[in-house]
Amino acid sequence: MSYQFKNITVLVVESTRAMFDLTRSVLQAFGVNQVYSAYGADEGFETFCRVNPDLVIIDWLEDPANGLELTKRIRTDKASPNPFMPIVLMTGYSQKKRVLQARDSGITEFIVKPFTAKALYEKIEQLVEKPRHFVSSENYFGPDRRRKREGEYKGPDRRATEQPKVKTATSTVSLSSAVAKAKEIKARHEQENSGKKDDWQ
Amino acid sequence: MDQQQTFEGQKKMRKAELIAPPNRLKEKVGHGGIDETVLGKAQELLENNTVDFKPIALMLVDLLHEAISDAKSGSTTGEDAIEAMLYPAMQLKAQGGMFHYPLISEISNILVNFLETVSNTDKDVLDIVVAHKMSINAVLASQIKGDGGKVGRELRDALLDACSRYYKSRKPQ
Repeated sequence: MSYQFKNITVLVVESTRAMFDLTRSVLQAFGVNQVYSAYGADEGFETFCRVNPDLVIIDWLEDPANGLELTKRIRTDKASPNPFMPIVLMTGYSQKKRVLQARDSGITEFIVKPFTAKALYEKIEQLVEKPRHFVSSENYFGPDRRRKREGEYKGPDRRATEQPKVKTATSTVSLSSAVAKAKEIKARHEQENSGKKDDWQ
Repeated sequence: MDQQQTFEGQKKMRKAELIAPPNRLKEKVGHGGIDETVLGKAQELLENNTVDFKPIALMLVDLLHEAISDAKSGSTTGEDAIEAMLYPAMQLKAQGGMFHYPLISEISNILVNFLETVSNTDKDVLDIVVAHKMSINAVLASQIKGDGGKVGRELRDALLDACSRYYKSRKPQ
């Protein structure tokens, strides 16, 4: 049994047709049948809302409406059909400050171009097998920015009783709408899967 | 007082809600990963693409040229001027490596790293950016699709040396 990528749709938001074609060819080799294209942040968001894909791959794109702005829109815009969308940013930047900028905009994974097929696959595998929790706070909505290496620490878990309490954020309007949307999706999912084994974690 | 304010701020930042979203990808793709042969085939597709990179590269070099001209004339300054030069340089680095021009990718990478460290666009900075642009033009004109051999190595070394001399000249005595 292997991954059934034929079941998913991917939106690739690129700066050039050539880069889109190349990325699509790799995704098709993985088995993805439906790959949508968009060029620029505005077209990217419009296509995202229309298609509601399972995965979005975004180039850094040109300012002012760059890939990071598009990511923020996907996470917080009222019109966003899924603020939890897994987003992979593929870019020629590799400096730490760029990675941090991208992380703070709400991307899920980061790939440096030029990229290999294996690098892209490994990021998608990470999204499938180790999805991140989302954090909603006063000034951020997106994947948990902390990277945990579970299972490496062998000592006593002294903080077991100090787990952070789940609190409701005092959000801005856009964050509130994202959280409301997030809760709505979660509730719908729970309703659809009532009686089934809980696979949320 | 300052300490209290900081502490209050930190307390505020901790008001966060953790949400475990549905794993739609997992539900749809299932288990088992993909075969090594599939990965190999995908990599072959990447490596054997027949995209003509030259028109894309020339468009990006034009963008870089415009950004240099704007910085020289003073119509853009500071971070804006640097960002305007960084974007085409980053795209040349990213796409050169994908479309059989690894030397352009390497030259552009040196330029990106340089631009990420400077804070203004004085004459010395712009001279170095122009040198990179001319090198990229030369590689395109000669259609050097590999690493450029000895010439490529000399080009890279010369550009790295120029950046290094710039850093040394700016180092506080």
